[in-house]
Amino acid sequence: MTVIEKQTLIGKAIPKLDGPKKVTGEARYVQDIELPRMLFAKILRSSRVHARIVRIDTSAARKLPGVHAVITAADTPGVPLGHGKDNPPLKSDKVRSLRDEVAAVAAESEDIAERALSLIEVDYEDLPAVFDPNAALLDDAPVIHESHPDNIPFTYEYSQGDVGQGERDSDVVIEDKFTLHFVTHCCMGVSGAVAQFDADDNLTVYSQTQVPFLYKKDIAPIIDVPPEKIRVIQPSIGGGFGSKLDIYPFEPICILLARATRRPVKLTFTREEEFLASPTRQPVELTLRSGVKKDGTLTFRDVATVHDNGAYTSWGATTPFVIMQTISSLYRVPHCSYRTTVVYTNNPYSGSFRGFGNLQATFAVESHMDKLAEAVAMDPLAFRLQNAQQPGETTPQGMVFRSCGLAECLTTAAERSGFVEKHARYSRYGRGQNGQGGPVKRGVGIASLLHVGGGAKIYRSDGCGTMLKIDDYGHVTVLTGASEIGQGSETVIAQFVAEELGLPISSISVVNDDSELTPWDVGVHASRTTFIAGNSAQRAARKAREKLLAAAATKLELSAEELDLREGNVTRADTGEALLELPRLIRSLHFAKKSEVVMTAEYYEPPSVPQDKEFKGDVSASYAFGTQVVELEVDTETGVIRIVKVTAAHDVGRVINSLGIQGQIEGGVAMGMGYAISEHLLVDEGVIQNPCFRDYKLVTAPEMPEIDMHFIETLDPEGPSGAKGVGEAPAICIAAAVVNAVYNATGTRFDSLPLTPERVLRRLKNHA
Amino acid sequence: MTIEQYAAPETLDELTRLLSGGNALIFAGGTDVMPQTRAGARQFQPYLINASRVAGLRGISREGARIRIGALTTVTDILESNLLSEHVPVLVEAADCFASGQVRNTATLGGNLCNASPAADLAIPLLLVDAELELSSNDNGAPSRRVVPISDFFVAPGKTVLKPTEILTRVIFDAPPSGFRARFIKFGTRPALDIAVVSVGVAGATANMVFAITRVAFGAAAPTPIRGKKTEELLEGRLLVDDTILAASSAAQKDVSPISDVRGSAWYRRELVRTLTERALHDVA
Amino acid sequence: MSLEKEIHFRVNGNLTSVEVPVTMNALAMIRDRLKLTGTKRGCEEGECGSCTILVDGVSVNACLMFAVDCDGRDLTTIEGIRTAEGLSPLQKLFVEEWAVQCGFCTPGMVMQGTYLLSQNREMSVEDIKRGIEGNLCRCTGYKKVIAAIAGALHATPRRGEEKEDS
Repeated sequence: MTVIEKQTLIGKAIPKLDGPKKVTGEARYVQDIELPRMLFAKILRSSRVHARIVRIDTSAARKLPGVHAVITAADTPGVPLGHGKDNPPLKSDKVRSLRDEVAAVAAESEDIAERALSLIEVDYEDLPAVFDPNAALLDDAPVIHESHPDNIPFTYEYSQGDVGQGERDSDVVIEDKFTLHFVTHCCMGVSGAVAQFDADDNLTVYSQTQVPFLYKKDIAPIIDVPPEKIRVIQPSIGGGFGSKLDIYPFEPICILLARATRRPVKLTFTREEEFLASPTRQPVELTLRSGVKKDGTLTFRDVATVHDNGAYTSWGATTPFVIMQTISSLYRVPHCSYRTTVVYTNNPYSGSFRGFGNLQATFAVESHMDKLAEAVAMDPLAFRLQNAQQPGETTPQGMVFRSCGLAECLTTAAERSGFVEKHARYSRYGRGQNGQGGPVKRGVGIASLLHVGGGAKIYRSDGCGTMLKIDDYGHVTVLTGASEIGQGSETVIAQFVAEELGLPISSISVVNDDSELTPWDVGVHASRTTFIAGNSAQRAARKAREKLLAAAATKLELSAEELDLREGNVTRADTGEALLELPRLIRSLHFAKKSEVVMTAEYYEPPSVPQDKEFKGDVSASYAFGTQVVELEVDTETGVIRIVKVTAAHDVGRVINSLGIQGQIEGGVAMGMGYAISEHLLVDEGVIQNPCFRDYKLVTAPEMPEIDMHFIETLDPEGPSGAKGVGEAPAICIAAAVVNAVYNATGTRFDSLPLTPERVLRRLKNHA
Repeated sequence: MTIEQYAAPETLDELTRLLSGGNALIFAGGTDVMPQTRAGARQFQPYLINASRVAGLRGISREGARIRIGALTTVTDILESNLLSEHVPVLVEAADCFASGQVRNTATLGGNLCNASPAADLAIPLLLVDAELELSSNDNGAPSRRVVPISDFFVAPGKTVLKPTEILTRVIFDAPPSGFRARFIKFGTRPALDIAVVSVGVAGATANMVFAITRVAFGAAAPTPIRGKKTEELLEGRLLVDDTILAASSAAQKDVSPISDVRGSAWYRRELVRTLTERALHDVA
Repeated sequence: MSLEKEIHFRVNGNLTSVEVPVTMNALAMIRDRLKLTGTKRGCEEGECGSCTILVDGVSVNACLMFAVDCDGRDLTTIEGIRTAEGLSPLQKLFVEEWAVQCGFCTPGMVMQGTYLLSQNREMSVEDIKRGIEGNLCRCTGYKKVIAAIAGALHATPRRGEEKEDS
């Protein structure tokens, strides 16, 4: 008797399900939506950074032929939006930054809408402005929001142990101030929305949101439409990276114009507008004091940060949640204290961006790890390994590392890159010893990361729903709450379902773009989708499997345990022998006396808990780790840094789709490289100086280094098939590895980013 | 500005006749004119003239000692030209770091020069070979031509000596003698898809068995692409030994008058001018 | 109102005529007039390559081209790459290699890749990287795009058939 081996789809290179529609141009993005009678909207933005609005005259714009509506704050419910609820979609009393929305037009074409904007007259009375968060904290600083006369919308404090004790235990204490800059998402598809009301006042929004269900609740009061009358359709989304986690003014404006005109309205940004009026990663000034014993044991971290919140409060203000995790728990730290002040300024306001504060925190912590290692004359790898956590540890902040591949990530990345030997060799060369006299110096740097890998319980639920049905041809439709933003969740979900039901991937359709059909999910963020939506889909499929096997057992007069589902058949579990085609089984259920359909539903809620009032608790069901080693060259006469090779070892729990996960690492490395060496949104007195791809430098193909990837499979006990989330991780630690490598190459340590050529050369030449 | 007429002439005669009244905006590949007009940086005129169809203005040829490049020759044409690779590889080097593949496929030599960016990539190697520019017009019904040296062509950022009735039709220069060596270095943060922060070109020839530099040029270091006269004087007839190269790279800083903008400060541009001059001289030495 | 001009050209094999403002770029004509929305508007400054099309077989940024200059030419957009037999070998490799994430840059990448392959030249990985230097991607880090183009360059038809069967 031949035994047929069971095939698995887990870990395989399954092609991307939405690939064909995207390579043919058939995928429709918001920019491509066209509805009958559709109008086009444009927004008039402030021409001042901080000013009182004295008068808005829209009469000339209203008279322009082809204009259907002109709205100002007076035409809105006046309810502010955003995470801080401090940002009215259209401003009435004053403007607080250059991007501020003052009026909006719906017209028969974008050209007419543009011309109408130019006819709107706004009189401003300038107010004193403030752009430096430290200056905004002074007593006589201009007040940005009258509700916060001190310009402080949020503060956070966290502590563990006793920093004083930690300091007394230390043989070496170092302190540095790190300064992180503005960068922005640069999604290739610019922001936009299409809104339409039907005769019953039901609203359909074609939105790019990453959080369709929270979106309904959040936007409802701003547009004065009950959430149950809002349908969110998510066309293909041209990049997310966290930028679409909050409500931004353009969406309610588009919706309000649709209601005012009773016609579909489309609003899309230009690229320049995308640079000026979409969120940024928050600039942070971080003062870090760290201590170590002579034997290489970390003693304490004491951190104070000032966050430039910009003029309004979006998710950028909440990044301290993630920053403090890295401060408290990236390596074993017994004593820790963390204080953050989030400060209003007249700058662009920041949102959430892949890594959510962790790039900034890891930059500081991993820079210090290198300095501390040097202070106690240890090799950077050995020092990190000595302080790395092991599986099963609970950190003082309450994070439980059920699986933890940190040490293995460190050793793997170091061994594969030849880190220890190169680090010793280059540090001698770099200081001008042992030859290598040319201007180009080589260096190698290491850094690790800790990030949530199983969601983050920041809402009452961190769950995701799945509904699944199988038709009488054996085709499965999976309705998931999880949004696809390009990361490939659709494919991974289909893999989990196909695996449970013994079906080829082509038998699975995933529906994930219409809130009218899909069950609740908290949204795409916190690297949670493979973990949470994957668990949900896997469990829904298991329920269907049990149902099918039970029915087959009855029909075949065998026990369910003796049966399996493979390649579209009910088979014997032991031999794999096909006994019954799945479609036949399903048809027999449909046509039975007590007929039934095979439909299941699952709501997966991870076993994580919200943090307590002291910010302690096991907030994620799993944690991701990784180590990256960067090898680079510094041209000490031009300041140019060329990254030669990145060796990345990531604890991913388990690989579900080998190509999908490689794509996350490669894309994350490119994004992290940009943060480290090329991307810089230049904001001068509230004005963005480089709102274009010519001068805001994304990494291009020729700059991509060799990437040597290693996946550490720690098989997370709670993860679906052992997987954990890895969407954000690859972008997090590369900047730290870069500055460590530059130090290795040149002996000069940078405490601010980006390491663009001129900034590097200025520092190397001590030119202010 | 209301556009009254659009024309895509197929002969030079037709084109220069259309231009004879002035009031025209000319485009060829469109890679500068389209984004500039969209951004409001350049105004439309009553006549919009598409020069890309004019016959006889695209191509690279050699007649005796003279190399002629038609103004409609694309940057890709230059990049792929065997003739230029053989005689003036420095021009091919400049074409190689020009914008991106898609832009190189449409952008023309004439457009790059007439756009008169201080950073114009192709201007630098042409300054090194003393290129002459043929400007054509129509003089009361008769075709008319004048020739200006490239060093006199640029006036200010975006401005040239072209009259509103003229169009650049050809770039002409002597095929450099054997022993000619030149180097172009464009400093941007990327291999291409970048506007030069600074660019440097050097060229020299062998006379009496001695290789000496005869031409130095800089881009993005002054209001126009410029010759480095002080540097040239210093290098004239001198052997390229280390001390001379060092002195020349310091002299180069006196040739330039860079501005500070988002791509780099004046300080940084001066630093680059020195370093890149030094490197370029070492490369050809 | 801008002056308009009627132009005649071929797009994806079909003869077409449209009347366009003389100031319009080819991208706007392709997307807004011809409704070929596969060509993406990424920056309209020639910096991102999302709008790459072929004009007389040569890749260009449609956003930098005057629409009127399409008169008499032969345009190919992403909609013209898939044949009746199915995806082109390059498109297939983009799907198989995960050269696609959000997909917004993908049509431009496929067009530029198609152009590079049409040159019938041997290309190193460095050549391919340079070949797509004008196409920005924020998701993939380019590695898989490069792999897809390299795969199509080296794939023999025989190997393509095998892949289809697997």
